[in-house]
Amino acid sequence: MSKGNAAADKKSEILQGTLDLMVLKTLQAMGPLHGFGIARRLEQLSEEILRLNEGTVYTSLLRLQQQGWIESEWGASENNRKARFYSITKSGLKQLAKETENWERISGVIGRVLRVGARTS
Amino acid sequence: MRSLGNFFGRLRRTIRNEPRDLEFAAEVKAHIDSLAERYRRQGMTEREAEEAARRQFGNTVSLEENRRAMLTFPSIDGLRSDLIFAVRMLRKNPAFAVAVTLTLALGIAANSAIFSLCNAVLFKPLPYRDPDRIVVLWETLRDGKPITVAPANYFDWRNTNRSFDDVAAVRSTSGFTLASQAESVRLTGAAVSANFFSLLGIRFALGRGFLPKEDQPGLNHAAILSYRTWEQEFGGDKDTIGKTIRLSDDIYKIVGVLPADFQFATNAADFQARSQIDVWAPLPINPEKISRGTHPLRVIARLKPGVDLAQAQAELNVLGANLARMYPADNKDKGILAVPIARQVTSNVRVALQALAVAVGLVLLIACANVANLLLSRAVARQREIAVRLALGATRSRLAQQLVTESLLLAALGGIAGLGLSALTIRAISRLLPADLSRAAGVALDARVLGFTAAISLLAGILFGLGPLFGTRNGSPGESLKQTNRLAGGGPSALRSALAVSQIAIAMILLTGAALMAKSFWALIHVAPGFRTESILTARLSLPQSRYSDNRKIGAFERQVLQDLRNRPGVQSAGFATYLPLSGSDNGWAFFIEGRPPLPVGTFDFAKYRPVSEGYFETLGIPLLRGRLFTSADVADSPWVVVINESMARQFWGWKNPIGDRLHFDGPTLRTVIGVVGDVRHEGLEGEPSSEMYMPVDQAANLENGPTIVVRTALDTSAAAATVREAVSAVDRQFPVDRIDTMDELLSRSVAQPRFRTMILMAVSILALVMASIGIYGVISYLTAQRTREFGIRLSLGATPGAVLRLVLGRAASLIAVGVCLGLGGAVIVARLIATLLFQTPALDRLAFAAASAVLIAVAFAASYVPARRAMRADPMLALRDE
Repeated sequence: MSKGNAAADKKSEILQGTLDLMVLKTLQAMGPLHGFGIARRLEQLSEEILRLNEGTVYTSLLRLQQQGWIESEWGASENNRKARFYSITKSGLKQLAKETENWERISGVIGRVLRVGARTS
Repeated sequence: MRSLGNFFGRLRRTIRNEPRDLEFAAEVKAHIDSLAERYRRQGMTEREAEEAARRQFGNTVSLEENRRAMLTFPSIDGLRSDLIFAVRMLRKNPAFAVAVTLTLALGIAANSAIFSLCNAVLFKPLPYRDPDRIVVLWETLRDGKPITVAPANYFDWRNTNRSFDDVAAVRSTSGFTLASQAESVRLTGAAVSANFFSLLGIRFALGRGFLPKEDQPGLNHAAILSYRTWEQEFGGDKDTIGKTIRLSDDIYKIVGVLPADFQFATNAADFQARSQIDVWAPLPINPEKISRGTHPLRVIARLKPGVDLAQAQAELNVLGANLARMYPADNKDKGILAVPIARQVTSNVRVALQALAVAVGLVLLIACANVANLLLSRAVARQREIAVRLALGATRSRLAQQLVTESLLLAALGGIAGLGLSALTIRAISRLLPADLSRAAGVALDARVLGFTAAISLLAGILFGLGPLFGTRNGSPGESLKQTNRLAGGGPSALRSALAVSQIAIAMILLTGAALMAKSFWALIHVAPGFRTESILTARLSLPQSRYSDNRKIGAFERQVLQDLRNRPGVQSAGFATYLPLSGSDNGWAFFIEGRPPLPVGTFDFAKYRPVSEGYFETLGIPLLRGRLFTSADVADSPWVVVINESMARQFWGWKNPIGDRLHFDGPTLRTVIGVVGDVRHEGLEGEPSSEMYMPVDQAANLENGPTIVVRTALDTSAAAATVREAVSAVDRQFPVDRIDTMDELLSRSVAQPRFRTMILMAVSILALVMASIGIYGVISYLTAQRTREFGIRLSLGATPGAVLRLVLGRAASLIAVGVCLGLGGAVIVARLIATLLFQTPALDRLAFAAASAVLIAVAFAASYVPARRAMRADPMLALRDE
């Protein structure tokens, strides 16, 4: 039974976008990783974002996979457990470059706007 | 490509769960385990570590839900669970499921059966290339009545029109006798212009069509066989093409075999199997020697690309006017009419089928109302469930989806059961089919019927599914929760009453229609045909033209056969006719009465023409009103005589005595009127008798070598037929004897179509009556059940049971009265629409309307009486204790 979660979806839109970007970047930087590994890496970089909701990494992975930006295969983890390893694809690399540029431009603009706002107030 | 792959992946996963779901669960578990392990290493207890890990990972259920939503189509996914739920609900309440399914099945079966009939007769394209470009051309009389075409006019149309690619003609012939080794076989035949088959666009099963020159006089010795004849008479042998055969003393070369599904008809009656043509021969027409005065041809034409019917008709109007000016003797006041062949073929059954289609549509509405009523009762019972779900956060639209799913499931069940039922109905119907409704290929459950059934099931599901939605819409969940079942639902009862009223109204319309049809049919079958039909056997002979080359020989043969027959046991009397009543064969002749002033050019007196033998009138019991009948002394060399019928005497002699007056045909020979006999309804019971003149076969104006014998006998059909065969072969060798029928069969066949539509409509309206009664029964039971407490209190306070009964029946009576009044209004409209189908019955026939109302009121009242009795016996204590 589906719930009326349209509002929740809207709120997390930005987070979703940034999480996807971070996961993609992580895979580009670190090479093939499993979900747990990605979570650890993101934890290292920023404790805040994933503190209580590591499961969202999997939603993000699924989304990226549906876009064709990453792919996955089964392999053995460090402690010899069976695990699914995700790696970035060629179109994923392209998308990452595009998104990174985009992000930098937008964050630059937003940063400038916020600074201007600070001065006038 | 990827998105397409996703789409199918989603669809697949929507339909079933996949191993990948298990893998995902394993992945999540491994993740949580790893987290927990880390916490354990930090020194937490097993339990603490597990909890912390879970907290850090987040809600796995909502993760799984999100995942499912991304991987599947959530609304369909919801549908799946709804369906499972719906099936479970139905299983819990099988009586309800059966009642709904059965009600729907009856309504749907009636509809798909009638639809399959319409499909076969009205919708299925005729088996020609671009059949909608083919028209039938008629000459029209001054009053617009279409008649068949004169050869000279056909030639002129063909040569001067600019609207048609091609114009072809077909003429029925008396058929052929195929001489084979064992015995000769009688085959039906038609003659066609050489372009006939190419105009229709026929692909031959074998061989070819006629070549352009093959309809020239002298070159016309090619023949084309129907598929059935090829199989039956030639064993389906491929070498048949090129063979020469002897057909009625002429040699023909077989050039082609038609495809199995080929049919040709210019009216629906021609589609009966027996009048389908066995052998097609070219129609030789010599343009030098053709007439405008006889009208033997049926003409078809194919519209040129880009020319529409209206343009073609406009041109034909001009053409017709020109021909009328050029040939006033024959064509004065005549016009030309083009009718699309599909409309032509179905013209006499269209209204009847439309009426039946409307009738079954109304029955389905009643069925839907019944199901809506049942669903309403259940919705009231489920109001608490629905309230609980609303309170727990289900959206209204989600609940609506659930309810619609349930209705659609019911509709699907009803549709499937209905399909099974309609397969049976169709089988029963095709046995009852009158000839002019059976387009030989027949009525079947094909893809279109299946599609139609699915569509009306869906429509029905939505229709009755809406009822409960209206019923449960209002009221907040809290209120419903506080209420008990028994007191819930004031709104639905108004809706229920409305449903019951509309059911009664619809049933009223159908019953009135059926009553009108029944009365009309009753009137029809009580028309006196003017001749005896019991214990009469009829059979057609075909005398080879080589040995029976003139009417003198034919007359002599007939007298010998009659002589022989009358000495055989079981034969009471016998005679010969050329055009038998109700057989579909007919002919007419122009005549002039001696001593009357000449008529204007182009006009003449006209009567039906009937060569008969002595004994014919006696055998068919046609009464002699004046003068005398033919005897065996009326032969070619005796004075020429005619017997006329009452209508002819009245029309041409008025009150004067016609006996002794003389008349002649186109030749100079004068024929003396010697007797007047009673009228006969030759074409069928519906038609008025026309003027007829009888003459001894020896004195006929045409060679009549296909006589029909009529025998009055106590023998059964096969014994009587054997007797006829023996008598014929005692006189000459065995001739083919075909079309063996009893007169009763011919009579019954002639009213087959009105009988069929009357029977179907009566069956349909009985169904409607039963369903509407169930409907009002349901509503009254519901109302009484609702007021049981009230009745209990009334009874305990001293009301008499009779008073309670009157209370309930009064309510029922008001519902019935409103329904009947509304229905009467609808019935008046419908009666006007079917007026053309009624025989000697006015559309607003008082008896039919009164009978229909009386039956409906009686049955509906009886249906309400049962629950009303129950109310009367309500035990006050029981009702009060229940509280």
